[in-house]
This record gives sequence, C-alpha cells and structure tokens, in this order.
Amino acid sequence: MVHITINGKVVKAAEGEMLLTVLKREGIDIPALCHHEAIEPTGNCRLCMVEISRAEWEGWKKHVTSCLYPVEDGLIVNTHTPEVIEIRKTIIDLQLANCPDSDVIQKMAEEYGIYKTSYETVPEGDNCIMCYACTRICEVLGKSAISAVMRGHKKVIAPPFGEEPPDCIGCLACAQICPTNVIPWTDTDSTRTIWKKTFDLITCTSCGKAVITKDFAEYLMAQRQIPKEYFETCDECKRMATARKMGEIVTKAQEAAL
Amino acid sequence: MKYQFEVIPSKCIGCRTCELACAFAHAQNQKPGKSRIYPLAYAPDKYVPVTCLQCDDAACVKSCMFNALRRNEETGAVELDKERCVKCGACVAACPFGCALIDDVHDEIVKCDLCGGSPACAAFCPTKALVYKRV
Repeated sequence: MVHITINGKVVKAAEGEMLLTVLKREGIDIPALCHHEAIEPTGNCRLCMVEISRAEWEGWKKHVTSCLYPVEDGLIVNTHTPEVIEIRKTIIDLQLANCPDSDVIQKMAEEYGIYKTSYETVPEGDNCIMCYACTRICEVLGKSAISAVMRGHKKVIAPPFGEEPPDCIGCLACAQICPTNVIPWTDTDSTRTIWKKTFDLITCTSCGKAVITKDFAEYLMAQRQIPKEYFETCDECKRMATARKMGEIVTKAQEAAL
Repeated sequence: MKYQFEVIPSKCIGCRTCELACAFAHAQNQKPGKSRIYPLAYAPDKYVPVTCLQCDDAACVKSCMFNALRRNEETGAVELDKERCVKCGACVAACPFGCALIDDVHDEIVKCDLCGGSPACAAFCPTKALVYKRV
C-alpha cells in the first residue's frame, strides 16, 4: 500500500497500480480515449496527462501520461492545473484536426472550449486515432487478426494484405472497444460481416434469434471448454427452459409431499 | 460462503415486484436498468423467479476472455467488472440458464450481482419466495 496526494487529498493505492486507475477510482474526470482496463496501457492518445511532483523535488514537476505511470509512495499529483489544461487542449485540438467528423472527439473538444481546430484537418480522414485499442484487445483474446499496416501518414489498421482476416472470429471486441467507433460491421438474421469477412451466426433452435458467430463459439469451446449445447439457444429461450426445469422439480417435490 | 440466496418457487405469485425492485436498484442516469431476475410462468398461474445461480464452475466466468467476470469472495456472487468488459457477448451466449443479458438502454452486459450483499428483490418480495439469509 502506498500513499499519494491527489489535488491536495491523500489517498491510498495498491503498489504497481497505474495512476489513471487510481484517479478514476477517486472519481476525478480525466479524459482518455485509448484507456481500457482489459488491455495493457500504451499511452497512445496522450489525453490522460497529469502533473506529478514529489516533496524532495523542491518545486520541480513533470507531466506524465497517467495511464502509464505506476503509483509510488509520496507522489504529489495535480490533475487540473492551468498547464495540464493547456496541454490537454493542444492534444484535443490536434485530435480534432485528425478526426474532424468524430462525435466523441467533437464532444470532448466542446468540453474544453474548442469548437474548431486551429490546425489543418487531415484530408479524407477516417476518424481513427491510431490508439491500437482494437489490435491490443484482439491480442488479449489470443487472435491478433488485425494490425497496423504501412508507415507514417499512410498507416492504417487492417487485416493482413487487406483481405479477409483468417484469424478473425467475428467477436466484435475491436469494434466495441474502438473509442471513436470507426470499425464498421453489419448483422443480418444469420450472418455477420466485419473486416470484409462474413460469418455464420448460430441461430436459436427454438426462436431463431442470432446468438453468436460459429467461429467465436468454436473458439470458446476449444479454449474454455464450454459445452456446445450452451450456444444452441438464445438467452430468452434458455431462461424459459430453466423455468420449466425448475417447475418440474417443484411439481415433483409437491407430489412427493402429498 | 456466509450467506445464501434462496428461491422458493412454490411461494411465488408472479407479481413481478422483484423485477421492478431489481430494475430500480440498478438504475443509472435516472433510467431503470434491465432486470436481472425473471419471474416466468412454467404452467398457468405457476411461477419461478429465474435468476443467476452463481454457479461454482460458472460458464460465464470461463467464457470471458478478458477476466471481466470474477467472484466476489465476500458475497459469493459472480460480478461483472464494467471497466474490463468489452461487450463481446460471450457470457450471454455461454450461460446455460440465460441469466446474463445485454441491456440496450445502458449499453452494457448485466447479470445478478446480489446487489453487493443486500439483494433488493429479496427485500421487496411480498411472499418471501426470495430469501437472503445467513447460513
């Protein structure tokens, strides 16, 4: 256990915890786009910048990305100093130039009083901020179906050779985690298309509602030993089956008691 | 486990008070959440409040690739860590009892968390078909 001072208040934190996790737990509003607890922090979006200092630094301070900074005893953190706000504003301004059409970034910019970027906007931008949240979550899942390709301003997140990714299982983790919602997918009654690859969806044997993609179910069966029959019906039908099963047990018990 | 959550279907009258209590106990941004308990009729006028069984070898916990579902050792409930959840829906598909589901209003996965140790459904059940007690 370590003690750190956040905006003048002393709080406890576990050793090795990242500063942003502690700040969020304390209810301090820190903007962050690429941060998610399920993936390793990489500090790509730079928005979670805070000011840190220590008593022995005699007034010296530095600015760090809080998602990447492990807490240490005696740390003095300030989250909303004029310098920090100015840094954040610059980053948001740059992000807005990069993704002029993104609702998420527009909203964030408005909160900081930026209505129009002071930089030149990226022509034909796709709102991707290159935070790698999608590739990182795919890695956590154990698939790594997508990655960054090309270099410099041509860099994009894509499947290998721009073709159907062979390792993709259609779980939508990448699309769900994307902070700016730029990964498109479409669902029909029995298929799902993402990264130009079409997946078959398992449909409920009793009501026909889509449950999960076949590939994802097979992956879960192989990796986590989930029985195949668990995926055959939708949640609603499974609940009804549970009610009937429990009802049977109740009826039997009542008959036995008579 | 220090506490036990008991469901007595023979006492259930299907009034759905538990469903309301649950939805309001899990309200966010002035909007009720989706209920984590479902009183369903298995025969005319015979009801079972179906809810998460907090399985020992839980399929939802096993199916989560991101360790978002973990057991709270104090209450014994399998709890969802919203910060770690990516809403992939693996737990919803894997639960054999259908007790994890997607809440479209709040855009999250929901499952019974025993309200962190004092379930609202048990407190409001008029016939005591739901009982939370120390064992």
